[in-house]
Amino acid sequence: MKLWAGAALCAAAVIALTPAAWSQEHVKWNDDGTVDLMLGPDYDDTVIKVQQSDLGSLFGQDQQPFEGEEITVLTLDSGPKGGISGPLQAFRPVWEELTGGKVDIALTPITDLYAKMMLDLRQGTGLYDAMIVGAFFYGDLIAGKYMVPIDDYMASGEYPQWTYDSMPPSLRNLYTWKGVGYGVLNDADGQVLYYRRDALTDPKWQAEFKQTAGYDMPVPPQTWQQVLDISKFFAGKDWDKNDAEPDHGTVLHLKVGEQGHYHFQSFSAPFAITPGDKVDQYHNVYWFDPTNMKPLINSPGHVKALELLQELHKTGPAAQVGWSLGEAWDYFLRGKSVFAFSWGDVGALCQDESRSKIKGNCASAVLPSSTEYWDHQNQAWVKTDKPQKVGNTTGGSWHGVISSFSDSPEAAYSFLSLMSVKPVSIWMAQHGWDGVDPGYSYQMLEPKGEAKLDDYVQAGWAEADVKEYLDAYYETYNAPTMLTYLRIEGAPEYWDIMDKNLSAAMSGNKTAQQALDDTAATWEEITNRLGRDKIQQQYQDSIGFKP
Amino acid sequence: MRWTSRIKFVFLLPAVLWVLVFTIFPLGYSLFLSVHHVEREVVVTGREQVPVLNKDGQPVLKKNGEPRTKTVVKRELSTTFTFAGLDNFLRAFRDAEVATSVRITAIFVGAAVAIEIMLGLALAWLFNRRIVARPVLRSIMILPIFATPIAVGYLFFTIFYEVGGPLAFLGVPWLSHPDWALASIILVDIWQWTPFCFLVFLAALQGIPDELIECAALDTNSEWDLWREVVLPLLQPVIILVLLLRLAEAFKLFDIVATLTKGGPGIATQSYSYLAFTRGFKLNDFGYASAMAFLLLIVVMIVVTAFFKRLRRAYE
Repeated sequence: MKLWAGAALCAAAVIALTPAAWSQEHVKWNDDGTVDLMLGPDYDDTVIKVQQSDLGSLFGQDQQPFEGEEITVLTLDSGPKGGISGPLQAFRPVWEELTGGKVDIALTPITDLYAKMMLDLRQGTGLYDAMIVGAFFYGDLIAGKYMVPIDDYMASGEYPQWTYDSMPPSLRNLYTWKGVGYGVLNDADGQVLYYRRDALTDPKWQAEFKQTAGYDMPVPPQTWQQVLDISKFFAGKDWDKNDAEPDHGTVLHLKVGEQGHYHFQSFSAPFAITPGDKVDQYHNVYWFDPTNMKPLINSPGHVKALELLQELHKTGPAAQVGWSLGEAWDYFLRGKSVFAFSWGDVGALCQDESRSKIKGNCASAVLPSSTEYWDHQNQAWVKTDKPQKVGNTTGGSWHGVISSFSDSPEAAYSFLSLMSVKPVSIWMAQHGWDGVDPGYSYQMLEPKGEAKLDDYVQAGWAEADVKEYLDAYYETYNAPTMLTYLRIEGAPEYWDIMDKNLSAAMSGNKTAQQALDDTAATWEEITNRLGRDKIQQQYQDSIGFKP
Repeated sequence: MRWTSRIKFVFLLPAVLWVLVFTIFPLGYSLFLSVHHVEREVVVTGREQVPVLNKDGQPVLKKNGEPRTKTVVKRELSTTFTFAGLDNFLRAFRDAEVATSVRITAIFVGAAVAIEIMLGLALAWLFNRRIVARPVLRSIMILPIFATPIAVGYLFFTIFYEVGGPLAFLGVPWLSHPDWALASIILVDIWQWTPFCFLVFLAALQGIPDELIECAALDTNSEWDLWREVVLPLLQPVIILVLLLRLAEAFKLFDIVATLTKGGPGIATQSYSYLAFTRGFKLNDFGYASAMAFLLLIVVMIVVTAFFKRLRRAYE
């Protein structure tokens, strides 16, 4: 009898509590023409205010435009409050309330995302209506015609409003293909240099450095050679006050099969790219010679950069050869290294005091350059007194695209674009956990962009940190010379072998020359196997090369 | 044939279907893939504007009163299979990564299996004697067998963690040095599979009649001679069986690599199976991955057959 009573009590409690959970309000239509998007207690009860016009003409107080429709979105899995997957989960109930539709979020580890997506598309299964992709997937997606162009949706005015015009050309290029829009605005990825402001500006360390290196410590460093000198200087010294242990120079994330090869891409660009006014056979090219698809990855510029990166690695913890992104970031956030160069997440995470000990001392700068670069045309080194910064969009710039197999492309587009409206996009740039990094005009500070310093300060940023951070990103995405992005069929395979060889070089198993020669040899095999003409055409299209 | 004779086929049918669906079909399909190049492309075959209907089947209207429409695009997936003959198989012989992975797998199999068997024998000998708390210790000894390799991989990832991990004080670059990383993989496998060897050997030892040992002990005082001349020959069929099982399993090394090192640093711990997996399931090169899997199957079958012959001889 007692058992039955207990069970009945439990059932009553469940019935009583469930409607409360169901009735959690996520959207509030205000009389002043604004709408509150409420993310709920799991997301600190965040409320984002948007204009009704931001949401497009389909949404309205009594409208349920996608009632009964169910969409599935495939994304990498970083948890409900983790990078890239977090925002989808946060905005799912908001969109469901706005539209009457339902969203399933299919989560998969980042390392399996490409395979899982391609398996679905190549088999034509159509499990996913939309996928969150890295820009390096585009070669395969375009070749198979697996994505739906979205320009018509954008032009219709029916869906949440955003525009490619807020993107600098370097980022816009990653969301489009030959001028046609496929990607829905979300993340902007590029690497910048993070350094400890307190250490580099400390007069005691500056004096000691001058004595050791023979020149004034440049703040921020302008070349990678200077970064190496400073990194060597600080490595092994206890310059961080957070503990009594010796600290390191530069921390890197080098685990094979993950994102270590990105370090090399942005690091080597100023050594390996010959600057010029336009993209031609010799200028502004990094991966291949666009006229014949011969790999450039083992050029003397690339090799010298890798040798320097090997040196830089020695100033960090030896264990970083096996470290993923998060481990390296945490090392820097705990105050254990003087430099890190990575994505925008680090700058934002520096401000999160539950994870960071360096808020207020987390300085940023555009990636340093080099005092010499390889001239592909004359096959010679060029020394320069005015090293030119090379911008980059290294990384995934993770964003949503619509699958060609979707039965509900409009609903899928509507969900993705809800997270692209300006107020939401600004909010995401201001918070580190979501993995969505800044790059768009309204996220940059006035006068370069439209954002106000106060907005970031109110969001919890240290003033000095955010100013440098956003300046660094502005310079990175608007640099006159950019590292071109690899968007060709099989890009993950090209990167896979490069990643393995780089890891071998960083762990001392291969010399820099050996590692890059091996990479080039395998790239030749891949290009031959996939079809040189086809890949060459894609490469030319993706970097804007006109024969 | 009477129905009572035919009914046996009905009872057999589920098993036959099971084998056909889950063994024969995948095997046949992967063989088909291994000799073909596959090209796929989405082809749009038509588009039409259709009205959006609500759940009651009525047209949904926009705010301006016009009916909402949506575009329905008809698409087909065009798949082209081109016969590739032995291309994928020959490619494996030209692939430098395959050569390295074969070498790594061979080192792993040789080292791990040999140590597991020797250690298993030594432990079995120890536990076959009267020692304190033998049942408890024996239970503890065999616990690793029950752990899933993926969990074991993650467990050792934390144990081998070089900054702040429980073994960090040793200063050994467990996962960051190419040689140590391979040694770490071998160590984990030894930790997990030595108990299996130990358990089987212990059972075999306990199956040897005491009288036999006592008789042999009359001829020698040396325990080593007793082992070499009497116990080991009696254990030989079991040793070969354990060797066979461990070899077949070790050749497929995958889980520990996937969780502990992902084949790194570089490709220092990339086993053959892990490479085949990455080719197929990470780079979608299923034809090549299938060919690699068949090559592994052939090698394992040759090894297993050789050992079976030896086993048969031992029994005879």
